[in-house]
Amino acid sequence: MNKTWRILDTGLRRAAENIALNRALLEARQAGEAPSTLRFLRFMPSALLGFHQSAEQELNLDYCHAQGITIQRRITGGGAIFFDETQLGWELYLHRSDLACADMQAISQRICTAAARGIQALGVDAQYRPRNDIEVDGRKISGSGGAFDGDALLFQGTLLIQFDVEKMLRVLRIPAEKLSDKAIASARERVANLADLLGAAPDLAEVQVQLQAAFAAAFNIEFAAGDLSEQEQARFETALAEIDSADWVNLMQRPRADKPLLEAAIKFPAGLVQVRVHYDAVRARIQQLWFSGDYFISPRRTIADLEACLRDSDARRLRQNVATFFAERNVDMLGLCAENFSAVIEAALAQQVTAS
Amino acid sequence: MAIVRGCQLPDDLFYHVDSNVWARLESDGSIIVGMTAYACSLAGQLVAATPKKIGKEIEQKQTICTVESGKWVGPIKAPVSGQLIEINEPAIDKPTLINEDPYGRGWVAKIQPKRWDVEKASLVTGAEIAAVFEAKMNTDGFGGC
Repeated sequence: MNKTWRILDTGLRRAAENIALNRALLEARQAGEAPSTLRFLRFMPSALLGFHQSAEQELNLDYCHAQGITIQRRITGGGAIFFDETQLGWELYLHRSDLACADMQAISQRICTAAARGIQALGVDAQYRPRNDIEVDGRKISGSGGAFDGDALLFQGTLLIQFDVEKMLRVLRIPAEKLSDKAIASARERVANLADLLGAAPDLAEVQVQLQAAFAAAFNIEFAAGDLSEQEQARFETALAEIDSADWVNLMQRPRADKPLLEAAIKFPAGLVQVRVHYDAVRARIQQLWFSGDYFISPRRTIADLEACLRDSDARRLRQNVATFFAERNVDMLGLCAENFSAVIEAALAQQVTAS
Repeated sequence: MAIVRGCQLPDDLFYHVDSNVWARLESDGSIIVGMTAYACSLAGQLVAATPKKIGKEIEQKQTICTVESGKWVGPIKAPVSGQLIEINEPAIDKPTLINEDPYGRGWVAKIQPKRWDVEKASLVTGAEIAAVFEAKMNTDGFGGC
């Protein structure tokens, strides 16, 4: 007989409550008080920082404050996201024994691959994209991150049902072109949502059914509906007291100057390549980058894949990472080469050296 | 030096096996704490580390530092109870140092233990290390460093 995991739907909540539930459910799983669980959740409009991020560096705070967008800090890793009622959150709370695998990247891949199958069942060609995304034809539809405590794991993802790309560009400090129709169009080339892909927003209950079925098949388990236990409720209230506070949101405070947005453009014989880079100067890491310009590349998704490959990567390994990326693919670039992409990124990073 | 599935585990250190951390007793009675090579291999390249504040009293198995790798966030836990008295700032600023040299320049924190003589009994050292970590790696489904 298959194991039974619990399924929870905690509905639409404030960000602080959702994050406090993350901690409560992870602690309860670690303490052996709760079964492995699939939880669905939704957020009132929120900008959610990764655990180690600083609001000053990642968000346009004036806009968030003016629009009443709540700022919160996740307990999981990864980058800042804009989360509102038009997205569905999915989370797994597991014990390591559910996975029989210790490698954290392999665990991410297994869970994301299962979630992608659930999204496929809705009628879109969703695929896992290393390291932690689910994409449809090169456009991201679900991002993810995780946290662990001892033998308990929390892995969570977003699924874009409908999505306001313009608002995302205004909330997050991301290396898009300055806000314009072109920037919005450029963002739409990188981000997908189910309503656009299917012609209409799918029924939320149907999305949950398909994700649930995909996780059940992937882990060979059954689901049974459940509620928070009294122990979890008590843990939730304790966690909420800490998380629903300015101290928690401002846990990491770093100056914006340590994470500049840098840009460069180079006119090669085969075309103009531009890049904007959100650069973590303290850790010498490329957090995120966006290419634009005027050049030919086929398949078109190559650029989105290169951006995903270089997200949160060591700047000192840039040339190696770019060379490896292109060596693994068959790409038609009409005269451009891997070195050109490295060169334009290096030119952007050099701006930082100049500025300092 | 024990080497288990390719992971180095110096046999003069004390290990809290469940937490996958090591402790080294210093001549002044303090202990140095770090991640094992096995823990580093599980995590992959670390990209961020945030320690608890110096001066904090910490119980055994409580978090002394939170680290992130590949979008996963997890704790480094205290192998014994005591007061956090020093943080290895170079490793916090550049967490890849922990991956590169987990038993040397990548140490994480120094603790002034309050019950070392009692709690050291819950740690593993010397000839026991290889068998205990082999069993843990087996349970975890770990392929090797």
